[in-house]
Amino acid sequence: MSIFANKSEKIFIYLFFAIGLFIPLFLEGNTFYINKFSTIIILAIFVMSLDYLVGRTGLITLGHAMFYGLGGYIFTILAPEYEAVNFWVYTFYVMLISGFIALIVGLIVLRTSGIYMIMITLALAQMTFYFFADSIEYGGQDGLFIYIKPETSIFGLSFLDLDNETHFYYLCLLSLFNCFVFFKIIMNSSFGRVIDALKENPDRATALGYNIFHFRLIAYVLASSLAAYAGYLFALQFGFVNPSMMSWDVSATALVMALLGGLGSIYGAIIGSFVYEGLHYFIEHLTEYWMFFMGALIIVLVLTLKYGMAGFLNNLSGGKRS
Amino acid sequence: MSQTILEAENLCKFWGGLKALNELNIEFKDKQLHSIVGPNGAGKSTLLNTLCGAYPATSGVILYHGKPITHLKGYEFCRTGIGRSFQKTNIFHNATCLENCCIAAQQRIGGSFNLFRKRSTNRKIAEIARSALEQVGLGARADTKATEVSYGEQRQLEIAMVLATAPKVLLLDEPMAGMGHEESQTIISLLKELKKQYCIVLVEHDMDAVFELSDLMTVMVDGQHLITDTVDNIRNNPLVQDAYLGNDDEVF
Ligand SMILES: Nc1ncnc2c1ncn2[C@@H]1O[C@H](COP(=O)(O)OP(=O)(O)O)[C@@H](O)[C@H]1O
Ligand SMILES: [Mg+2]
Repeated sequence: MSIFANKSEKIFIYLFFAIGLFIPLFLEGNTFYINKFSTIIILAIFVMSLDYLVGRTGLITLGHAMFYGLGGYIFTILAPEYEAVNFWVYTFYVMLISGFIALIVGLIVLRTSGIYMIMITLALAQMTFYFFADSIEYGGQDGLFIYIKPETSIFGLSFLDLDNETHFYYLCLLSLFNCFVFFKIIMNSSFGRVIDALKENPDRATALGYNIFHFRLIAYVLASSLAAYAGYLFALQFGFVNPSMMSWDVSATALVMALLGGLGSIYGAIIGSFVYEGLHYFIEHLTEYWMFFMGALIIVLVLTLKYGMAGFLNNLSGGKRS
Repeated sequence: MSQTILEAENLCKFWGGLKALNELNIEFKDKQLHSIVGPNGAGKSTLLNTLCGAYPATSGVILYHGKPITHLKGYEFCRTGIGRSFQKTNIFHNATCLENCCIAAQQRIGGSFNLFRKRSTNRKIAEIARSALEQVGLGARADTKATEVSYGEQRQLEIAMVLATAPKVLLLDEPMAGMGHEESQTIISLLKELKKQYCIVLVEHDMDAVFELSDLMTVMVDGQHLITDTVDNIRNNPLVQDAYLGNDDEVF
């Protein structure tokens, strides 16, 4: 048994990462595109974490960008301004602290469900947004700058230079890969069995003796700290954080990407992010009314592809829906 | 006489002004099949739902082996040994029959918080699940998706899932509802076997099945306990015939 749910997923993942590995060789020197790809890959990590929450656990949130933004802020606030800290150590800090915040937030929001959960996650994210936007200490609307990027040595060995676009790109690609594998492992695990059950029928899962609150809380913490990790990468790429990272439309756009890719398919998050950003990029260059055309196109795609792009690929490869 | 496992004392469940359970006193003994009958809306499902912790009681006490368990959370009832099947089929449709029972078995065996262990590698869980399926006669359907099996088989699966939780008490809400004659016979012979091991509380409209299976019967009307007695005594009781069995037409 492999970790893949179906053939199309397997083909897509192999192709995507094979192309991903070699593409910088063809883009030699074209840092614009390399940076663009890094950004979309970071976005895909964020969307994947949201897809797990919404599509696998059944928890619908409109506040996921809060953790994306927090990931950036946690690093920027924590790291000394003019000193290169260690990337891996700070990855640990960012995920630990954001996980802890998610635990507290989860204890509140997971008491609700459905539309109430959407509302309360949105409200909390907006509160956090305004907290940073109004805070003088954290730079208000302008946010904070990162003057020195972390170094990446492990036991004194350093392979990656984060100031180098190609190196940074590979870090992002590796992160996306790890994130994908992580989600596939927990989906196939004993824990994943309970998550599947409580998503489909929470009352029956309770009747079978599961305290579903605990399982939802763990899923929420995991997904939130991965969103924070994505936000941390985003902040490193652009060298700053600002409150717009956690604005509600970041959450909403990510939700659209997850839907577009195929809700709950996990690898669909990668497709959704690339298709959305690709369309965005091309349509933006064609017309100044890109938002309108983009919106119309997304609506058509989401309506015609019932299970998103992942479902579409699966049909193409003749697989059964899983 | 066998031992009392589950008891309700002055159990009440109100829905606003509606007294779905009104000062109910009842006890269930080990290795007996105790049926609850009564017209539609009598409160039978509500009684099962309250006994299994799905609905908190408005007042009164539920005792398990003499200890009050009324205060427990919904999910803790199953863990104490009270298993419940539902009137409306309540299974995991997207999963296979085996997986449905694995979900049930895993709660007891543990490891549910293990993020990394592959679910399919737990032999013990799979064994319990498979034997529960075989017990209800669904062994051949193990790898079929729950949506794809017949309605009657879904009802059997419902029971298999309860068995996989290794309960002491089985609360079964109309397990034969909507089943054909042959499928009902399967369930009847299954219940005959099961009552040798478990304390079974059966809510069922099929009176032939009830008379055939029951050690004790309780008649409920309007949330109240009318009478509890043996099958023969209930059949001949004029009070019951008046209130409930009197006219030979529809009993529900
Ligand atoms: N969730 C509920 N909310 C409000 N009223 C309910 C609910 N469940 C059951 N009732 C009411 O309680 C009474 C008993 O219902 P029920 O226990 O389903 O009866 P039975 O199973 O004996 O047919 C009915 O009048 C029903 O309308
Ligand atoms: Mg009923």
